[in-house]
Amino acid sequence: MDVTLYSLEACPFCEKARIFLREKGIQFAELKVVPGSASWEEMKVKTGSGTFPQILVGEESIGGYADLVDLEASGKLYEKLGIADRKSDTVLYDDIILGAGPAGLSAAIYAIRKLLRTLIISKDVGGQVTWTSDVDNYLGFSQVNAAELVSKFESHVKKFDVETIIGRSITAVDPTGRVKRVVVDDGRVFYGKTLIVATGGGHKLLDIPGEKELQAKGVSYCSTCDAPLYEDAEVAVIGGGNSALEAVIDLMNIARRIYIVSISPLLGDPVYRDKVLASEKVIVFPQHQPTRILGESFVEGIEFRCLVTGKVKTLNVEGVFVEIGTMPNSSLFIDTLASNRNGEILVDLECRTGVAGVFACGDVTNVPFKQVVVAVGEGAKAALSAYNYLINQK
Amino acid sequence: MEKKVKIYTTPGCHYCQQAKEYLTGRGVAFEALDVSQDREALKEMRSITGGGRSVPVIAICDQVILGFDQEAIEKALNCLQ
Repeated sequence: MDVTLYSLEACPFCEKARIFLREKGIQFAELKVVPGSASWEEMKVKTGSGTFPQILVGEESIGGYADLVDLEASGKLYEKLGIADRKSDTVLYDDIILGAGPAGLSAAIYAIRKLLRTLIISKDVGGQVTWTSDVDNYLGFSQVNAAELVSKFESHVKKFDVETIIGRSITAVDPTGRVKRVVVDDGRVFYGKTLIVATGGGHKLLDIPGEKELQAKGVSYCSTCDAPLYEDAEVAVIGGGNSALEAVIDLMNIARRIYIVSISPLLGDPVYRDKVLASEKVIVFPQHQPTRILGESFVEGIEFRCLVTGKVKTLNVEGVFVEIGTMPNSSLFIDTLASNRNGEILVDLECRTGVAGVFACGDVTNVPFKQVVVAVGEGAKAALSAYNYLINQK
Repeated sequence: MEKKVKIYTTPGCHYCQQAKEYLTGRGVAFEALDVSQDREALKEMRSITGGGRSVPVIAICDQVILGFDQEAIEKALNCLQ
């Protein structure tokens, strides 16, 4: 059976179709079409469409590039080509979950219990939970070590037959089309009928001189990890929310002096605030904004400005713990999924993103309250929505 | 003989734990040093990183890796072969 590719010059999806057919070893004839010409009219008659590319198998129109990928992944392309004994070497997952924090892992459990063939791709396991020491507000655990909670989540998922790729970054995602494609940093491509975006949040950066240069040289984003390295040192904690106060608590028994620099008054829960303010080691600079982290090869100080008087102060510190909140890891979807001005992916009550077959859950979304228990619930919802979507597909 | 892979850790550091599990999974023998307890190890860690103060730090042969960077670890492990 002959394959015909109608293409247009400089059309990116034509190039993708060309590469795809070559990669799969499928012979094809290419007809370069100029819009408005006789060949364009011929293409419109044969394919019923005027957009590029268009692909014919024999006389049958199969559509454009996304349709081609879809047919190949499902094995139907080879049936049409009359080589039914050739099976697609592409594994087509029911569900690819991006991220393995509480939202992603919870989604995995719900997906696998619906017998969906599921793949999790993530750089690490646990997400932001692993940045804290203890979790005190997860139902059923009055106090649990964060690492322990994550390993409980992980072993729960491992009980089921979920495939995982951990330790790899995702470099590109194509969520449009019926078959979604995910490219990881070693070049492998994975195909899924649905996507669940659970990529979570990352540290919000101060974005001031010295921050990047002195990362791991005194600038830290993980107080439970690095606080023990500041015995008898003077340090600054930036931020006024719960994460900042927890960092201060981590440091209180170790450091000699802790300065809190916050653009607002301290906003964290009273239970943390009271504990922090009771310590003689703590000095608070409310309504102050950091402007520079000082030091050549390691942190030597911090410069900040009073938002009321404009006066600039400098303190000698050996460490700066940045705890000013998180931002969503949504940059991969900037062109494809709608987001709000904070970069959070917009979802409806059923975790749908507006792109068919693409769901999102947890801290990467606009769902308020970035809590483990919220993320776990949203993950479950996303997986069940993905299941509903799949059973309604032909 | 001194082990060729050293990992500098603290007890509250989840990435240290993940790095150790990764090395174990790869069948790599390593020495784990808790720098919150071991002052000599902390001094050593700070000297090989030029003042570094974040864990994990992983030393493989003469290479020093800051953080749990799986790709960098994979590359560095080539020196053991």
